Amino acid sequence: MIIETLSGRQLRVVARRGAIALAGREVRRVMVLWSQTLVPPVITAALFLAIFGGALGGRLRQADGVSYLAFILPGLLVMTVAAQSFANASTSLFQAKSEGYIEDVLTSPLRHWHVALSYMVGGLLRGWLAAAAVAACALPFTGGLHDGVLAIVPLVLTGVIFSALGVISGVWAETFDQQALVANLIIAPLALIGGVFYSAARLGAPWSTLTRLDPIYYLVDATRAGFTGVHEASLVASLLVAAAVAAGATAAAVVLLGRGWRLKP
Amino acid sequence: MTGSADSLARAGAALSIERLDKVYGGETRALDGLSLRVPAGSFYGLLGPNGSGKTTLIGMTCGLLRAPAEHIFVFGHDAVADYQRARRLIGLAPQEIHLDRFLSARQVLSYHGRYFGMPRLEAEQRADELLEAFDLTAKAKARPNRLSGGMRRRLLIARALVHRPRLIILDEPTAGVDLELRHDLWRYLGRLHRDEETTVLLTTHYLEEAEALCERIALIRRGQILAEGTQEELRARYGGADLEDLYLRAMRG
Repeated sequence: MIIETLSGRQLRVVARRGAIALAGREVRRVMVLWSQTLVPPVITAALFLAIFGGALGGRLRQADGVSYLAFILPGLLVMTVAAQSFANASTSLFQAKSEGYIEDVLTSPLRHWHVALSYMVGGLLRGWLAAAAVAACALPFTGGLHDGVLAIVPLVLTGVIFSALGVISGVWAETFDQQALVANLIIAPLALIGGVFYSAARLGAPWSTLTRLDPIYYLVDATRAGFTGVHEASLVASLLVAAAVAAGATAAAVVLLGRGWRLKP
Repeated sequence: MTGSADSLARAGAALSIERLDKVYGGETRALDGLSLRVPAGSFYGLLGPNGSGKTTLIGMTCGLLRAPAEHIFVFGHDAVADYQRARRLIGLAPQEIHLDRFLSARQVLSYHGRYFGMPRLEAEQRADELLEAFDLTAKAKARPNRLSGGMRRRLLIARALVHRPRLIILDEPTAGVDLELRHDLWRYLGRLHRDEETTVLLTTHYLEEAEALCERIALIRRGQILAEGTQEELRARYGGADLEDLYLRAMRG
């Protein structure tokens, strides 16, 4: 009996096709479940904009020299991308694990980093699509972008960081409670104290220190620089730290999947 | 055996397990220095009571459980160190039915093929072929939760075959399946084994199934292989009128 042995190049083709299929499956899941994955975050962000930017914004008038609506929009986009990227990657992986059909992936010749990146693709898509919808609705009221590239780069990094953290959380969680715990007790508070609705410079201690210890603050600040030209922290430092965190989170997700942590007894 | 003799023997076997141990949680020993060789092209039965280590052995071979390198070889490829090459050659139908609920029956098959490196079009054609072979064409667009238990079982077995594996591992494939489907499945597996020289590793509690299909049988108990051979060889060793009889004698001995 002759058994074909694949060359290294053929193996790479096999792995690439597999990764494209798994990423496609994740994209499909986001699009099929659009009423759960895309509509709620857009409505939530629109309500935040309407209440804080519209209703209360009239009283708050300006923050750091820009309208309050323009001030909070970048932070809301970061919040949207962070929450949705995280939720998608963690939920999809957790469902696959808890319902057992992750065996389809675990028994395949896919490489670990392909699996991690494929699950992250769904998270990135969901986060970016939701943020794009919110931005499309709000930008006519806030004015255009100050610097398009600078506005997008922090949102890209936000998506990478939180979808990678979502993969880690999805692998870690063994119950629905644990899965919700990370989103509700870590991600949501970090987003809320990350300077989305206020300027850290205007706060007194310990709140300004607390805000500056929150990594989301730097993502919000850099995104705000792209949208309005206003920022408090060093942009270069913010983006470098965000890139390093994105690389670290992705590497951690790949390593944990590779070791089969909480996936393989 | 020397290194090169080892390599030759491994390459000649569809599955070669060498002194494999598995301990869960530091205390439950599921496999205890187990060694097993499944000849390429054979229809091989792995029989043993619940908790004897069958599913652990299969899980470690296929990547569902952690396993050490240099103990499991699939057509000579280390199932851990060279897992990509090894897994391409394996098709697994697990004991429990877990199917992706976001995909239709046809997509369950085609996506699986693509995870194993098949081009999209080829995977879709193969999915259609298997849907027909397993009498599921009418349910091609149905989600797995809309299928009956028997249909889900057929879909699970079809999924194991999509990427044309050389070693098919069926972990109790006919558990809870009606008699008609069981006989259909026997016929299909027999044909696959005969016509395409596919190696089949079957675990089952239906001994008449093993008796009808398996050319060689290994008896496993408490994580070790008790005996291995053709049915005649096992009968010569343990006696007994049929496989059920010799199985009981071996397990009680």
